[in-house]
Amino acid sequence: MQVRAAPDSLSEKVEQSIKEAQEACSDDPASGECVAAWDEVEELSAAASHARDRLKDNDPLENYCKDNPETDECKTYDN
Amino acid sequence: MRRLTSVFGGAAEPPKGGNPDSNTLISDMTTVICLDDYHSLDRTGRKEKGVTALDPRANDFDLMYEQVKALKSGIAVDKPIYNHVSGLLDPPELIKPPKILVIEGLHPMFDERVRDLLDFSIYLDISNEVKFAWKIQRDMAERGHSLESIKASIEARKPDFDAFIDPQKQYADAVIEVLPTQLIPDDNEGKVLRVRLIMKEGVEHFSPVYLFDEGSTVSWIPCGRKLTCSYPGIKFSYGPDTYFGHEVSVLEMDGQFDRLDELIYVESHLSNLSTKFYGEVTQQMLKHADFPGSNNGTGLFQTIVGLKIRDLYEQITASKTAAPLQATKA
Repeated sequence: MQVRAAPDSLSEKVEQSIKEAQEACSDDPASGECVAAWDEVEELSAAASHARDRLKDNDPLENYCKDNPETDECKTYDN
Repeated sequence: MRRLTSVFGGAAEPPKGGNPDSNTLISDMTTVICLDDYHSLDRTGRKEKGVTALDPRANDFDLMYEQVKALKSGIAVDKPIYNHVSGLLDPPELIKPPKILVIEGLHPMFDERVRDLLDFSIYLDISNEVKFAWKIQRDMAERGHSLESIKASIEARKPDFDAFIDPQKQYADAVIEVLPTQLIPDDNEGKVLRVRLIMKEGVEHFSPVYLFDEGSTVSWIPCGRKLTCSYPGIKFSYGPDTYFGHEVSVLEMDGQFDRLDELIYVESHLSNLSTKFYGEVTQQMLKHADFPGSNNGTGLFQTIVGLKIRDLYEQITASKTAAPLQATKA
């Protein structure tokens, strides 16, 4: 079973990509390399943000109750 | 996207048992495809060529057109997966034709053939100041980022954005424009937003939302004797306009809701919402009170657009079932 990348390694990728972009742009800020490097930073930053959101969504009780609403832990009494 | 798919009932989720990094979302009625899956160049490829993802050269529009056309005609496709974590193109996943297909991404309206397949299109137009504020909120928590790196990334991508992405908005049936508020002088926090829903006139199956009197120009502050609002309040305006040479109607909301009674009060004064019952917009907004934009025009207009799409879908399916009946009568 495939496992999602751990957010930590994504954070490292973001950090690394920023350094690389700064290097690529120090030679020629108008070059394709520079622009592509910052685009990679954007892509990784977005991925890191989505990964953080997914972590927020992973409450074990909420996930269990989604599939088993009739169990004692999950019953809600609205009336 | 969650607000949009939620109008049809159920939450759209990634396909179970497949690639965990799939970008696709599936619910009973809808399938949402991320157009990054049609990248012809992966992250390494783009780096080598010195090209951004915004550049058409990084995307396979022929494949995009083929597959969207196939799905629209009821044929399943094996669609590639662009893995945003690894930056690689993963083996394809099977996509079955849904009742409602949503394609989202950087270039939904770029290719004319794909554009012509769309029954409805939306462009989310975020102004520069708001984009910068949102990216700061998103990225400052990430170590390695600073104000400078966030700014540099936006600026490096701006030429491609202006050349390839922004021009698509002229083709959209609805544009949601997000701007800084005009209610707070010298506001630099970017928390209160001014949002404009620009709706094209004359689009088949689409009747624009209006305030009070269709086709007239209206300015409305709902806060007063009947409704108390907290600072900075809410200001609506509505009126006809032209946008890239097209006739449009624009509904605008500046400010924030902070209570349920403000939301229902506003809903009761809007017309042509395509709701199925009084209070449906408010109910949808409350259902997703934890989503971003729930207290301003972004959440409100995305919810309204969802209802408009439902209306469009029902009209189109009704006309499809009516046609064969007429054929047999003759």
